Amino acid sequence: MKFPKLFKPFLVSAALAIGLAGCSGSNENAKSDEKTAAPEKAESQEVNIYTARHYEADEAIYEKFTEETGIKVNVVKGEAEELIERLKREGESTQADLFVTVDGGVLAHAKQNDIFQPVTSETIDKNVPENLRDADNNWIGLATRARVIAYSKERVSPEELSTYEDLTNEKWKGRLLVRSSTSLYNQSLLASFIELNGEAEAEKWAQGMVNNFARQPDGGDRDQAKAIAAGTGDVAIMNTYYVGLLANSEDPEEVKVAENLGVFFPNQETTGTHVNISGIGLTKHSKNKENATKLIEYVTSVEAQEFLSANNYEYPVNPEAKKADLLESWGEFKMQELNFDTLGEHNKKAIEIFNKTGWK
Amino acid sequence: MKPGVIKRNLKKELNSWWIISFIGAVVILLPILFIFSTLLQEPNENWFHIRQYLLGNYVINTILLVLLTGVFTAFLGVSLAWIVAAYDFPLRKFFRLGLLLPLSIPTFIAAYTYRTMLGYTGVIQSTLRNQYDYQINLDLFAISGIKGAVFIFTMFLFPYVYMITKAFLESQSTSYIENARLLGQKPITIFFKVVLPLARPAIVGGTVLVIFEVLGDYGVTSLLGIHTISTAIFQTWFGMYDVNSAMRLAAWLMVIIMGIFFLEKFLRQGRRYHMSNKSRPLVPVKLKGMKAIGAFMYCGIVFLISFLIPFIQLIAWAKMTFGKVWDLSFIALINQTVYLSAIATILILIFSVIVANVCRKQSAFSFALSKVMTSGYSIPGPIIAIGVLAIFISMDQWLAPLYKSMGLGEAPLILSLSLIMLVVGYFIRFMATGFNAIEVGYEKIGTKYTEASRMLGLGVTKTFFKVELPLLKGALISGFVLTFVEICKELPLALLLRPFNFETLATKTYQYANDEQIYEASIPSLLIIGLSILSLVIIQVLGRRGK
Repeated sequence: MKFPKLFKPFLVSAALAIGLAGCSGSNENAKSDEKTAAPEKAESQEVNIYTARHYEADEAIYEKFTEETGIKVNVVKGEAEELIERLKREGESTQADLFVTVDGGVLAHAKQNDIFQPVTSETIDKNVPENLRDADNNWIGLATRARVIAYSKERVSPEELSTYEDLTNEKWKGRLLVRSSTSLYNQSLLASFIELNGEAEAEKWAQGMVNNFARQPDGGDRDQAKAIAAGTGDVAIMNTYYVGLLANSEDPEEVKVAENLGVFFPNQETTGTHVNISGIGLTKHSKNKENATKLIEYVTSVEAQEFLSANNYEYPVNPEAKKADLLESWGEFKMQELNFDTLGEHNKKAIEIFNKTGWK
Repeated sequence: MKPGVIKRNLKKELNSWWIISFIGAVVILLPILFIFSTLLQEPNENWFHIRQYLLGNYVINTILLVLLTGVFTAFLGVSLAWIVAAYDFPLRKFFRLGLLLPLSIPTFIAAYTYRTMLGYTGVIQSTLRNQYDYQINLDLFAISGIKGAVFIFTMFLFPYVYMITKAFLESQSTSYIENARLLGQKPITIFFKVVLPLARPAIVGGTVLVIFEVLGDYGVTSLLGIHTISTAIFQTWFGMYDVNSAMRLAAWLMVIIMGIFFLEKFLRQGRRYHMSNKSRPLVPVKLKGMKAIGAFMYCGIVFLISFLIPFIQLIAWAKMTFGKVWDLSFIALINQTVYLSAIATILILIFSVIVANVCRKQSAFSFALSKVMTSGYSIPGPIIAIGVLAIFISMDQWLAPLYKSMGLGEAPLILSLSLIMLVVGYFIRFMATGFNAIEVGYEKIGTKYTEASRMLGLGVTKTFFKVELPLLKGALISGFVLTFVEICKELPLALLLRPFNFETLATKTYQYANDEQIYEASIPSLLIIGLSILSLVIIQVLGRRGK
């Protein structure tokens, strides 16, 4: 009969599918064979990370860690919320030992989703001050960036600047630059105001900001600095990290932009400057807990922290570590003091306020 | 119906082609059903907030973007396809292929490149400022807002329309156009009265691809601060931490897209497009004087804006950052990208051919099948990713006893930590790209060769290999290139579904671009572009040798 002929394409596709599965399957098998053969050994050799921080400095630090300890570091990079969702769905089966991300709000969100377990290590407690760790040690601070006011050195004198709230003043009308409210950095900033000043004040602030916009939000943080140079506006809310990137750019034009940019730390007399914190946490179902703890100890050590600051223009969390020269030149500043959990709680409200006030 | 009749009908219809199509449809449907299942759940308060403040505005922006981009890409793609197919002018052969190159530049890279180039530190402003001390305001040309997005989408997506329409015109419209020419019609009349109506399936097919791309875009729209349904999906998930409302939005987006499909079907009103004449290449008419210069200028300017200028700019930036960024690990990146894209592309093409073949028989089933197979293209990548992830993790849990008996440990994640998951993600997302190309190919062939072959006693499968496959070659080539290039550029799926320590060129590009390091991003971007060009050239050479 025609039966076999009829099924030829089916067989071909099936063979292909099996072949494909076989290819990747065999790798997996090889890996798991190793695991079953020497489970103890495998545990002391690996640590698996899900990270939303995509920086080369991070990778370099992981490499150094491997050199020093012989523990191999495996990495999956992705967007924070996607990785949290993945961890949630993987549940007990997950291979991930550590979760790393930028922004306190996201870290709080991860904690709420119960993907972490507390880390216990005297070294870590010594490396990182309490205000830069989760209250329950669910995550540990890795580095911070300040969200500051950048201003044109030509057209603005620092005496005119004081607080975030002051930016809603009539005198800044048509002179203010800031990126879109889709940015996590803006969401966390507003969430911190909801916590510190209450919802009504926060909404008033957002409305005042929108009223003073020099233009509709456009582009990223760097673009705000360039708009100051181009004369579109005079003051911008920006992350110190991006000022660092601009000042160290390969493009001399960008370096010039950074040179004409002043950096002002607002709210020094009042609530303190807002910082974004990056953090690392031990996953609830980690299979290599010991290695993971070692890695956290290493990344918060003076050596790793100084490397991170020098190469990625972030503030170290370890008070013993030296800051990058550029950051040093801006001096010390007072940080906002708040429980990072509240940032996660208020993030949704912050977005609602942005939408209501028309902050695009 | 008597059981006997049913059995006979089943025997008539049910063959392995049908079964494979069905399996493909199930693979695609599972994650999509998972997304749609959110519609059944009670909406939460976030959903009401979204409806109150966002939806109206977002829907308007989305419609505006889709409409403007659709009209402009159709205009640009069809006019270029017509000029290149029907006329001969200086450098025509070069433009024939060159006008496909814009596809190789990911739209978000194009947007970054043009923004930076025209911006304050860009080459134009800084040269004028430093050399001539002249401050110029380019705000009028700034790539921002809806106009910026439409510009980027049009200039870098029109090749979809161009490619499919040109392939159609070159081989299928010859006798109609020649007859019209013989009868003394002016070129304009021929274009509007003959070419446009004939090429409609090709034009619509290409434009629909563009529209899908726009609907699913996040990179360009978020950079330019335009709020669309797609950005709302991201904001709901990443900002309000509400995956369910995000999937709900995605489900509604798909409903809209199905609406578009049915509208098109309705507007066609069952007209069929079978070309019954022998397919014979269209001989281009030689243009002289001003007309030749005009055609050359038109193609030249489009090529300049949509490829050469951003390409040269990227090279300049790559030179600037080469020492800092380049190392040998890029070679491994290229290998991984090629390996992965090729596997996924071949898989997609095999299924495209099978399904398109089954779908030739007009029936409610085949219509539904073709819509299911192509529906993934309209869903934003991250949403597909969540659907695929959910299905794969439950499959791993389901297979846990088997894994255990194989000695792989308690409840390990085997499938969801392998590349298969990513390949399936690509399969769902890009089935439409391959399928549309093949479907147009089948529409061109019509059914008479197949019918003749079947009458002469060959089975479905033999007919396919002996008769249809050689005729489909052109469609296969364009399907391969389109899909391969798409997968090389793809980002959100690769980002979420890849196994440990796996990077592609696109994820590397993103790593820099996301951090506003566009200069550093230029090197991996150029590698993606180079890979796309290479695939284009290889396929073209293969295609020519076969002739």
